[in-house]
Amino acid sequence: MDELDKLKNAWKKEENTYPKFSEKDIYAMLHRTSSSIVKWIMIISILEFVLWLGLSFLLKDNPGAKDLDSLNIDYITTPMSVISYGIILYFVYIFYTRYKKISTTDNVKTLMQNILKTRKAVSAYIFVNITYMAISTIILFIIVFNTHAGIITIVHKFEKDGHLLMFYLVAFIFTIVFIGVFVLVMWLFYKLVYGMLLKRLYKNYEELKKIDM
Amino acid sequence: MGSSSIERSFVQQLQENQNLIHKICRLYTNNEDAHKDLFQEITIQLWKAFPQFRGDSKFTTWAYRVGLNTAITLYRKTKRTVNTIEFDNTLHKINQDEYNYEEEEHIKLLYQGVQQLNDIEKALVFMYLEDKDYTEIAETLGISEVNARVKMNRIKGKLKKILNP
Repeated sequence: MDELDKLKNAWKKEENTYPKFSEKDIYAMLHRTSSSIVKWIMIISILEFVLWLGLSFLLKDNPGAKDLDSLNIDYITTPMSVISYGIILYFVYIFYTRYKKISTTDNVKTLMQNILKTRKAVSAYIFVNITYMAISTIILFIIVFNTHAGIITIVHKFEKDGHLLMFYLVAFIFTIVFIGVFVLVMWLFYKLVYGMLLKRLYKNYEELKKIDM
Repeated sequence: MGSSSIERSFVQQLQENQNLIHKICRLYTNNEDAHKDLFQEITIQLWKAFPQFRGDSKFTTWAYRVGLNTAITLYRKTKRTVNTIEFDNTLHKINQDEYNYEEEEHIKLLYQGVQQLNDIEKALVFMYLEDKDYTEIAETLGISEVNARVKMNRIKGKLKKILNP
């Protein structure tokens, strides 16, 4: 008899030694809050959507944005707003349909895959948003440099002094550093939050994949 | 059926079949607090999934699928494990008349060995202990039957190694 069969005998004898919860205990449990990772993914994902939406409203109201309005570049800012809301709607839809697919009655592997897919929808959303932000910053950067009266005066001043290249270089580096720091902070946030939340899931998922290799 | 009678029917069925959930908690936790915590999370997940339970399969078959999924994937281990009480000395004390001391020690060691396995290996062991066949084990985990057998043999080897280092 191998070890596991010995354990099986003991396992069967243990049948009557488990604690017994009463119906009242079980009723009480039904109304407690779950601490499942799916619930946490849902909460964090909604926060991310709200945060990005809030950020876009905040950016619209700041003095810099009002300054932009005075440039009469609606032909470029309006399509950009439409695109950014389109991105949100698309990803909320994808997230929701994937979230609905998560079912605890699926097999272990499918459940894990569906959770990871839901999570990936939000990661893709963040990635698209960062890319969108970088591209729109560059577009606005170019437009402002060519149309904003105040900046054109500064550009001319640097041009006269013979430091134009230097000016562009500093402005370019500043933008890159700004985007870089932003991406780094987001990446660290992701590592931390999802590292903690999904570490065990990834480990178990890898283990399952390894069995079937 | 009204919502309260659905709840009553669920609670009754779970109360009658709660041993199944205790067994899952037995393998996936190692103290009383964690055991209760996992039991509660499985209960919540079962209740959430109950509308999908159509009664064409047995309550236990359905419940152990949800229970395992919760233990392996959904459950977040809480940090409330300060008072680590050795389980074997509390909830699961096996009747002294049935076992002699040496055997009891050996079983205790076996449980400790199983505790050292990873979550997926524990699931395989659990289903083996529950007399599930390899078709069902493979289907529950989402792997092939052949690989389930191979993995089971490896686990047996691994346990032997843990017990006889």
